[in-house]
Amino acid sequence: MKNRLKVLRAERDWTQAQLADAVDVSRQTINAIETGKFDPSLPLAFRFARLFGLRIEEIFHDPTLDKDGNGLGTKIRKDTSV
Amino acid sequence: MAYVMSSLLYLQTMIGDIMNQLKPPENGYEARTRKNVIQLFRWTVAWGATCALVAFGPKFLWNKAVVFTLLAIGLNLCVGIRTILINKKYLDDLDDLQRKVQLNSFAITVGVAIIAAVPYSVMDSYHIIPFHADVAHLVALIGLTYAASNLYGTRRYR
Repeated sequence: MKNRLKVLRAERDWTQAQLADAVDVSRQTINAIETGKFDPSLPLAFRFARLFGLRIEEIFHDPTLDKDGNGLGTKIRKDTSV
Repeated sequence: MAYVMSSLLYLQTMIGDIMNQLKPPENGYEARTRKNVIQLFRWTVAWGATCALVAFGPKFLWNKAVVFTLLAIGLNLCVGIRTILINKKYLDDLDDLQRKVQLNSFAITVGVAIIAAVPYSVMDSYHIIPFHADVAHLVALIGLTYAASNLYGTRRYR
């Protein structure tokens, strides 16, 4: 899972510690998410979305999706639509 | 004069607000975790003390009186149960990543304990090891494995 957390944080001139306090996690967790070592749970992703005033998919995105945002479901539909 | 006083008051309030915003909240994640760790440490020490009481009390303190031994065991169990509940609260209050680190540590620790305990017991049964297999060895192995795996997990996500 890729994310724009570091960019969004930098735009607001926040430190990792300030962001961590805002969403009630440790600074280590923010660092691990920003560097892609750890994917947050859905409740934590919602907290980020509320904090930045964005939708979850505007912060996190699945690199396996194609340019149109189509994923595994589209492939399965194509394979079975004979 | 009144204008100066009200300006100073306003300035003081503004500085106070800025300082409060910069200061981590006292009920924030870090403060809460620190409080839970201290509480868990205190109860673990208390449990260790009651273990020592159960182990050495009958011989050195009350001359093997059964009533006192049972009372000491009861106290040990009560403190042990409280320690488990405090540990559960500590885990519940952790964030996603710390909980994952703890889960990995527990998985490795339980695995190592089970895998090591069976051959250790067999070696004792067939007198392959020159000493009696003691449960304290297993407890020490569990403690060391948990500490090592926890340290590894913490460093991995640093």
